[in-house]
Amino acid sequence: MPSKDGFFQKLRARFRARAQDYGMAALEVFLSAAIGFLAGAIALLVLGYDPLRVYEVLFSWGYTDVGYLLLKSTPLIMTAIAFSIPALAGVFNIGGESQLYVGALLGLLVAYYIHNAPLAIIVAILGGAGLGLFIALLRVYRGINEVITAIMVNWIMYWLLAYLVTGPFNNPKLPQQSVPVPKSAQIPMFSVVGVNIAGSFILAVIGALVIYYIVFYTKTGYIMRVSGLSPASAKYAGFSPEKAILTSMLIGGAAAGLGGALLVLGDVHSIDTTLSAVYGLGFTGIGIGLLGRNNPIGIIFAAIFFSGLLIGGQYVELFLNAPPNLSDFLIGVIVIALSIPYAYRFIISWIKRRRMTK
Amino acid sequence: MITGADIVNLLSSTLISMVPILLASVGEIITEKSGVVNIGLEGIFIISSFAATVVAYYTSDPLLALFVGTIVGSLSGLLHGVISAYLNGDQIIAGVGFNSFAYGLALMIMVALWQSYGSSPTVKTLPMILVPMAGTTLYIPPLAVAALIIAVLVYYWLNKTRSGLKVRACGEDPRSAESMGINVRRTRLYATILGATLTGLGGAYLTVWWIGQFTKFISAGRGFIALANVAFSNWNPLLAILGALIFGFFSALSIFLPLKLQQIYHVQYTAQIYLFNTIPYIATLVIVAFIMKRVRMPRALGKPYIKE
Repeated sequence: MPSKDGFFQKLRARFRARAQDYGMAALEVFLSAAIGFLAGAIALLVLGYDPLRVYEVLFSWGYTDVGYLLLKSTPLIMTAIAFSIPALAGVFNIGGESQLYVGALLGLLVAYYIHNAPLAIIVAILGGAGLGLFIALLRVYRGINEVITAIMVNWIMYWLLAYLVTGPFNNPKLPQQSVPVPKSAQIPMFSVVGVNIAGSFILAVIGALVIYYIVFYTKTGYIMRVSGLSPASAKYAGFSPEKAILTSMLIGGAAAGLGGALLVLGDVHSIDTTLSAVYGLGFTGIGIGLLGRNNPIGIIFAAIFFSGLLIGGQYVELFLNAPPNLSDFLIGVIVIALSIPYAYRFIISWIKRRRMTK
Repeated sequence: MITGADIVNLLSSTLISMVPILLASVGEIITEKSGVVNIGLEGIFIISSFAATVVAYYTSDPLLALFVGTIVGSLSGLLHGVISAYLNGDQIIAGVGFNSFAYGLALMIMVALWQSYGSSPTVKTLPMILVPMAGTTLYIPPLAVAALIIAVLVYYWLNKTRSGLKVRACGEDPRSAESMGINVRRTRLYATILGATLTGLGGAYLTVWWIGQFTKFISAGRGFIALANVAFSNWNPLLAILGALIFGFFSALSIFLPLKLQQIYHVQYTAQIYLFNTIPYIATLVIVAFIMKRVRMPRALGKPYIKE
């Protein structure tokens, strides 16, 4: 009785049917990462550092403290989803950065004034979703490229946030940071078999799974994916690609907003006036989304991987005095390498052809 | 309250901040007319302004620095052109990756050379043209004049010459262009290199002709403002001049306004300064929102040309 198949059987059948796709994706991801680390090694060598020593520190220190690793990957999971869900619908959301700022700020303020974590999270999600929707509305109704809007909004929100945390919501006792999240509204850590798992990480994983379900198992998700692959076919099937864009940006913005709230409530507990706690998380999320092949579950693993690189990067700086921006460089090369899947397919078909002629 | 001197100062800053945006916009128009979109302009600004700073610091020769910065721009264009025209890569993803790569690389080298995380040492800059006027001095960057001439020449080249027509054909209908005997891939590569070269010149100008120092926020979204300007201009280099002047004016205003207001009301802004920084971005957004509806982009823009 195939119709009574359980969820896991379905999942297995699905996986088997797609094994080749997954294999190809895994190969592309692996090759891109390899190219990234190779380019990184060359750059380090030229700059006079020992790449083997740098990578040794990067990997041995980046991934040792599992609890910290998962805590730091939390906002990255959400900003990656903020990029990937719109990407599936054919929209390029590089506004995850500012959508996270809004979530972080609103989450912080609700937590500070009302002392209620669930409410803070809900308000942050709505704020992020609203900002995502704004970009999508301009795209759909005014025809403005979402990349341009998103970057302008990113900078507007950056300076607005800088103003708010140094001005009205500054902590008078600690002028280098904003008002804090009170103890009662912080998301605690849980000790699971000796490992401290952040509550915020668990919430991020639940969020990712919910979004995975929406995208791959509901009609809304199906319409989004069809519209992304071919807006013309979507129209022919009676779907509205415009509506798909709006929905995907709503979900993406909501994810980034949630990421901001989880960051503030579960990790940093206030925003510093240099914005170093929030800056760059959205941009890093783009690379993670691509590395996770725009799949929320792949993204969880990609976020943990990148988070280890970022943590390890700090130790590289501490121990070897090597530049901490190595991680930006690596992420950049990996993303560039991911942009040329055609080249890998070409190489593979070339190898296959050579094998056959032998 | 606004004096003649204020207007002259505002005009100076408008002209100074217009230059990189105009150069990058005109460059990107060439690139996009051939069918390639390069959203890595921001990264080119960063990497070429940084290269120029390094050369200016070690040789004390800002003209050589300007040249090297421009060449670094060309090389960035070579990379993006190969990915876009020959490897059929996703142009948007490659551009985003390049922005991160350029930022990471520049900052890595900055830390390695000067152990500094925020900004480089200051370097010698090239001179401006000074015109005494209304009790103050009007600063005209010579490159502003050059950029205006370049914009007019590019307009003429793209619209009135045979080779310009070839470039446009690659962006409108690459298949027909190929059947007319145009090498689409090579044309797109050259157009991308040319566009990135102009952007590189704008980037080098940022440090060795204007600010005199590399900082990690040196480009501050200018690359994306230039992209917005390309759409605003409807891919017309002459209208891009107008757009660059408008965006330059709002950048100038964001610096001028808080100074003037503090002077008039005898107050000291602290955190409020940050709010004025949003002016150019809000202006860009508003202008683009009102104009965009009527533009028409090259038909094959952003699509890899795959031969059958």
